[in-house]
Amino acid sequence: MPSATRRSLLHRLAERAGRVLAFLWSGWAGLAALCLLAAAWQAGHEAYGPFILTSPLDTVAAVAALASDPEAWAIGALTLQRAITGFVLVAAAGTALGVMAGYSPATLRLTGPLITVLMGVPPIAWIVLAMIWFGGSDATVRTVILISALPVVFMGAARGITTRDRGLDRMAEAFGAGPVQRFLTIGLRQSTTTLFPALALALGTAFKVAVMAELLANAGGIGGALADARINLDIAQALAWVTVSVALLISVEYTLVHPAKAEVDRWRRAAQPWGVKR
Amino acid sequence: MTALTLDGVGHAYLGRTILEDIDLAVAPGEIVALVGPSGCGKSTLAHIAAGLTNPRTGRVRRGYARHAMIFQDPALLPWATTAGNIDYGLRLAGVSRRTRSARIAKAAVQVALEPEDLQKFPVELSGGMRQRTAIARALAIEPDFIFFDEPFTALDVALRRRMQDLVIATCAAGRISGLFITHDLSEAARLAHRVAVLDTRGQGILGERLLAGAPGHRSDKAVFAWVQAALRQDPLFRHIHDVDERQIA
Ligand SMILES: Nc1ncnc2c1ncn2[C@@H]1O[C@H](COP(=O)(O)OP(=O)(O)OP(=O)(O)O)[C@@H](O)[C@H]1O
Ligand SMILES: [Mg+2]
Repeated sequence: MPSATRRSLLHRLAERAGRVLAFLWSGWAGLAALCLLAAAWQAGHEAYGPFILTSPLDTVAAVAALASDPEAWAIGALTLQRAITGFVLVAAAGTALGVMAGYSPATLRLTGPLITVLMGVPPIAWIVLAMIWFGGSDATVRTVILISALPVVFMGAARGITTRDRGLDRMAEAFGAGPVQRFLTIGLRQSTTTLFPALALALGTAFKVAVMAELLANAGGIGGALADARINLDIAQALAWVTVSVALLISVEYTLVHPAKAEVDRWRRAAQPWGVKR
Repeated sequence: MTALTLDGVGHAYLGRTILEDIDLAVAPGEIVALVGPSGCGKSTLAHIAAGLTNPRTGRVRRGYARHAMIFQDPALLPWATTAGNIDYGLRLAGVSRRTRSARIAKAAVQVALEPEDLQKFPVELSGGMRQRTAIARALAIEPDFIFFDEPFTALDVALRRRMQDLVIATCAAGRISGLFITHDLSEAARLAHRVAVLDTRGQGILGERLLAGAPGHRSDKAVFAWVQAALRQDPLFRHIHDVDERQIA
C-alpha cells in the first residue's frame, strides 16, 4: 500500500515543519530574555564605566569587527574543531563503555568508585597533566575534554541500560529477536532517555573546557585570543570573544542536539498537554 | 506429535521454588486454558514454555513453527506508533517490507483499531487499545501457537467478548494451538478445549477438565452452567473460588 506510506510520510514531514515553526515562535521568548540581559549589562556599564564593562553596543561592534577579520574566523574555527572532535571522542568512548557497564553489573560496581575519583579531580589538574604530556596542541585540548566529560556520558549510557524496561526485552525475545537485535532495537533506544541529556551536558562542557584549556595551555584558539585580550586589558575584545564562544555553542546545540532530541522524543511530546508544547 | 509438551518442568527464583513437576501437553489445534490463583506461577510457566526463561528442571518440547505471545501488560515500544509496534513483530518475523503494511492494516481491523489510531503513540491510547495493539502484533505474524497471558483483563465486558470471539475464530480457522492463562473460569469455558488447574503453590498440575463441544459452539447457558457446576461441585476448582474472595477483599 504505497499510498498509505506516502500519506504517513507527508504526515511526518508536516509534523516536522510544524516543529520548526513552533521553535521559531519560541524564539520570541529567547529574544525577550536577551533584551533583559542587555538592559542589565547596560546598567552595569553605566554604573562602573567602560574600563570595567563595555556597553553591549560596543561589544556588538567588536564582534562585528571580528566577523570581518578572516584571522578571527580561523581562531573560532580552531576552537570549534577542537571542541567538536573532543565531543565526538567522548561521546563514542563514553557511550561504548557505559553500555558495556550497563549490561555487566559487576563492571558497573567496579567503575562506580572510579568515576567518583575521576569526578573529584579538578579539571585544571588534567590541563596541567595534558600540557606536560602533549604540549600546546590539539591533543591537549581533546584529552582534557575527554577526561572531564567522560564520567557524565558514561553514567548516562550505563543508567539508560540498567533502568531499561526488561519487559520490552522479554517481548522482543518472545518475537524472536536475538541478543544483538534486542540491543540495537530496544536497549540502545531506551538508553537515549538518560544518554541524551548527558550528551547535551558533555557538549557544553566540551566548549567551556576547550576555551579554558586553550587559555591555560597557550594553545591558540578562542582561549588564546582571550589571553591576549587580558594582556592588553582590552575588555571589549574579551567580551566579544566570550560572545563568540557562547554563540558557537548555541548554534551547535540547535543544529545538532535539539533536532536529534526532538526526533527521538516525538512520542514524549505526543503525551504532553497542549499548553506545555507552546 | 504435540504442539507443546512440558515434561516435569520446575523453576525457582532466588532459591524459592515457584514451580515443580509440571506436566502439560497441548495438541495441534487445541487451546488449553491454564487457571490458578494469583502468584502461583502461571506467567513463569508461560515464559518457560515460550523459551524466555530456562527451566531449572525438566524439559520443554515445541512442535510448532512460530509462536507469538500476548503478555499480561501490553509491552509496547513507547517510542513507536501503533503501526510501528505491530510492524516490530513483523520485522522480527522476517516479513518482507511490501507485505507488512497490508498485514498491519488487516490486524488492526481484526482488533477493531481505527486507521487513525495506527499513527498514535501508546501514550495516546487507552489501556484497552494498548492491549488490542499487543493482540494485533501477535496475530499479524500469523503464528501457529499463541501464548496468552491474561490478555483481556484490561478490556471491558463487550470488548472482551469480541476479543474472545476473535481468538476462537482465528484459532479455529488457522488450526492455531494456544496456551491461554486466565483467572476467569467463564472465559476459559468459552474459548478452550480443555482447562488445566495449576496448584496454589505451583506443585504440579492439579488436574484437567475436558470441555464438551468445540469452542464457539457452546451456548452462553452451557458455559454458565459449566462454571456454576465447577465452582459448586468440583473440588479441583476450590482455589479459584478462594482467589475470587481475595480479589474482592
Ligand atoms: N523475576 C522474579 N524474581 C523473583 N521472584 C519472581 C520473579 N517473577 C515472579 N516471581 C515470583 O514467582 C511467583 C509466580 O509469579 P507469576 O508471575 O508466575 O505468577 P502468576 O501466576 O502469573 O500470577 P498472576 O495471576 O497474578 O499474574 C510469585 O510469587 C512471584 O513473586
Ligand atoms: Mg501472571
